[in-house]
Order: sequence, then structure tokens, then C-alpha cells
Amino acid sequence: MPLPAKAFQLWLHRVAPSASTADICRISGIKRTTLAQQLVRGKVAETTLVSISRALDLSPLTELASFDHYAELGAPPQPPTPAELVSQVATMDLLRAVISRSSPAYGGYGDSDSASMRALSPAPHATSVRNWVDAIDDGELRHRVSAASGVAPQNYSAQLTANRLSPELVVATARAAGVGFTGGLVATGLITEDEAGWVPGAKQSALDALSDGELAALAGERLQALGKSLRRHEHEQAQTEKIWENLG
Amino acid sequence: MRETGMIAYLQWGTLIICSVVLFLRVPDAIHGRNRTVFWILVLATLCSLLSVSGPYEAIDGALGGWNLAHLILRFLVFAAVLLVGLRLATGLADERGYRLIAGPPGRWALAISAVAVAVTFFLMDTRGSSAGMLDITDNGGQNAVLAPFYAAAGRTYPAFVSVALLPALLATTRSQLPRLVRAAALLTCLGALATACSVPACFAPVTWILAQQTVNYLAVVGYVLGLGLFWASGLAAKESGNARATFRKNKG
Repeated sequence: MPLPAKAFQLWLHRVAPSASTADICRISGIKRTTLAQQLVRGKVAETTLVSISRALDLSPLTELASFDHYAELGAPPQPPTPAELVSQVATMDLLRAVISRSSPAYGGYGDSDSASMRALSPAPHATSVRNWVDAIDDGELRHRVSAASGVAPQNYSAQLTANRLSPELVVATARAAGVGFTGGLVATGLITEDEAGWVPGAKQSALDALSDGELAALAGERLQALGKSLRRHEHEQAQTEKIWENLG
Repeated sequence: MRETGMIAYLQWGTLIICSVVLFLRVPDAIHGRNRTVFWILVLATLCSLLSVSGPYEAIDGALGGWNLAHLILRFLVFAAVLLVGLRLATGLADERGYRLIAGPPGRWALAISAVAVAVTFFLMDTRGSSAGMLDITDNGGQNAVLAPFYAAAGRTYPAFVSVALLPALLATTRSQLPRLVRAAALLTCLGALATACSVPACFAPVTWILAQQTVNYLAVVGYVLGLGLFWASGLAAKESGNARATFRKNKG
């Protein structure tokens, strides 16, 4: 649920008592019309708060926790599990790791250093939300989230497919899975790994800790999913072209 | 009468919409792009022209003033519907729909409708030009009984084609295709629904004439605007560079 406008304005007054709305918009890069619209509707997006917090050099996580329904974010954050960290490694980085670990006889580099020479790209990546949920899913997770939040499973899946998840559902998902909140907030791109308090290189260490077998299997799953989504795209493309060819 | 005024609005509105879409489609037709779609629009415009009292009475008068123009109008509608059906079924890759329309069921439906229209027409006393043959029932005799059957026969074949197309249109509306394409499918879907409803609407009591006529014109407008939007969606995509599915788009 977005933040109530009233609570948001109280917060804004507390963190920046002298700044006008125009100043806030200028330093945080939010369009004035966007903010005005959110205030009129009575619902302010969490991303708005995060942008303003960043601009004011405040921790987005702490500021988010100052709102009633995100109060649980205020507790000392539970660090992400290794599976969550690996889920935030982009597919192409996983593939690069596979190549760099492979023996030179098979076209690889035969070490693990060449992979770390190139820094992993920062989260979120193209399928980070679904990969995060898959990493913490025990098979019943979607069911529990849907029961707890009242969001229909198909709507939940649609958000994952679009690589999106509302912050409210991120918190509900993390709670249902019994993991920390930061993994999902990073996966959805609301906050950065830094802001989440992740140790620099945590993703790299989790990746290095995977055995060759685990890494190959994981990369295989990712490639399969990528292939599926590309094929779906190509199919839709062909359908659309056929329509234009005959009716355009 | 107020209703006559409203019906005139419907007639002129439909004619204007058809003409505008036809006019927009002219440059592409000159370049030789999908001339069939252009001819469908020409037929639709001609049909809506023949639905307006002034032009109808002029043309029918030239043909002898016994509403032969209305019979011709019915056959023009059949031709337009056949072309629309084949084009849409091909475009939407709807093999089942294409078989229904182009195969034996479609040919039978066309033949039966055509014969029924002609037979009921010649059984009626059709003297006195009247657009939509709305005043023909005043001629007495069997006209009052036959007029609804004549109208229904003329709408049976369009309804058949529309029902055959509906599943594919609905599927396209609910797909993940570009928004404009889905909107076009939705408009066409509304046109097809209205066409299917226009058969039972022929037997509606006289007091419902405005609703009945609205359904009839909605059918034309739905199809024509749908075709127009399919065309516009292609143009919009061409201008925006129509991104393909590639690895480049998928940075993960």
C-alpha cells in the first residue's frame, strides 16, 4: 500500500522543514506534477520517498521504516541468504562465471579470477524479481502470500513476469518466506545493495561459493527461462506482423 | 418525429466515419498496399451511402423506384462481409474461422442467405423508394409479415461470419500483443457482436426501432473503425522502429 499523503507530509516537514515542494522536486528529480498528483490522490509512492531520502542524504530504509505499515523494516536488517544473493546476479554474469571456471581445453579460462576481474553488474537485473521469489520459494510461498495479502495468484504472477512487485507485496513475501526484507527491496530496484546494507562483494562471494554443478544447473535454468521468454516474444512478433501484413 | 431525426444522425454519422477511414486509406491503396482492405472500405462506404435517405432515393429512383437499390445493397453487404471475414481470419491466423468462412459451411450460409433475401424481396410489394425499406410495410398485403424476414435474411450471413470470427477476435483482445492491435481487435469484436445481435433485432417491435437501428449501425462502425485501427497500429509501430525480440533488449 502506498504511503498516506498526510503521514508523508508530516515526514517531509520533519526531514526538510524549510524546503518548499519546488525545492524538494528539484533536488530529488521528481516531476512536480507527479508529486502533486500523488498528494491529491492521498497516496504517495514509496519510490517518491526513496528519491527524496536519497537527495537529503538519508537512508531510504530507515525513512521508510518511520511509516506505520513499514515499521518492521526498522529492526536490524536480517542479511540476505546466499540463495537470495545469487538470485541477484544477472544471467549474463552467471554465464561469464561458467566460462571462466571451465577448463581452457573446453574454451574456458580455467580459473575463477577472470570472472571477478569484471565486477558483477548491480542489481536489479532483467529477471531479478522472479529469481528472488524462486530463490526463497519452498513450493507453497505464492499460496501463503496470496492468502496473507489477498492478492490473487494470477495478479502476483503477472507482476513477477513484468519484473515488478509492489513494496507492500515484497514485505509480505519476505515475511511469508521468513527471510530478511532487503533481498526483495533490492530485487525490485526500490533500494540499492548499498542502501540495503549488503557487504560489498557479498554477491560475488555467494557466487564463488557455488559448486561447479550448482552453477551450471542454475545457469541452465536461467537460460531456459530466457529462451522461453524470447520464444514467446518472437511468436507475438510473428502474430503482429501477420496482422499488419493482411490488415495494415 | 424525434426518432427519424436520431436515425438520420446514425445514418450520416456512419457514412462520415466510413468516408474518413476510406479517405485515410487512399494513399496506401495507391501504393498498392493491401488493396483488399481498401475495397472493403469502399464497399462499406457505399453501403452506408445507400442507407441515407437522400442518396438512396436518388439512386433508387434511377433504378425504377421499386427499391431494387436495397436488394443490391444487401448483396454489397454480403461481398464486404465475405472479404472482411477472409482477411481477418488470415490476419489473425485463425484457421478454424477461415475454414468456416471459405469452406462449405460458409458457402452454404452465403447461398441460403442470398436466395432467402431474393425470394422474400420478390414476394413483397416493394414500390415506393424508402431507405432501409422502413416504410414498405405501409404497402399492405404480405409486406408486414415478410419485411422482418427479409431483413433477417440479409443479416444472417454477416452474423454467421461474425460468429465465426469472434473467438479469434476475443483471443487477440486478451493477448499480449501491442495495445493498439488489441484495441483494434476489441472494436472489431464489438462490431461482430452487434452484427450477431442484429438478426434477432429484426423481429423487435416497432417501438424499438431506434435501438434496432443503433445495433445495425454499430456493427458497421465497429468493423470499419477496427479495420482503421489495425491499419493505424501498423503505422504507429513503423514510426517507433518496432523493436524486435532480441538478446539486446534482455539485458539479464
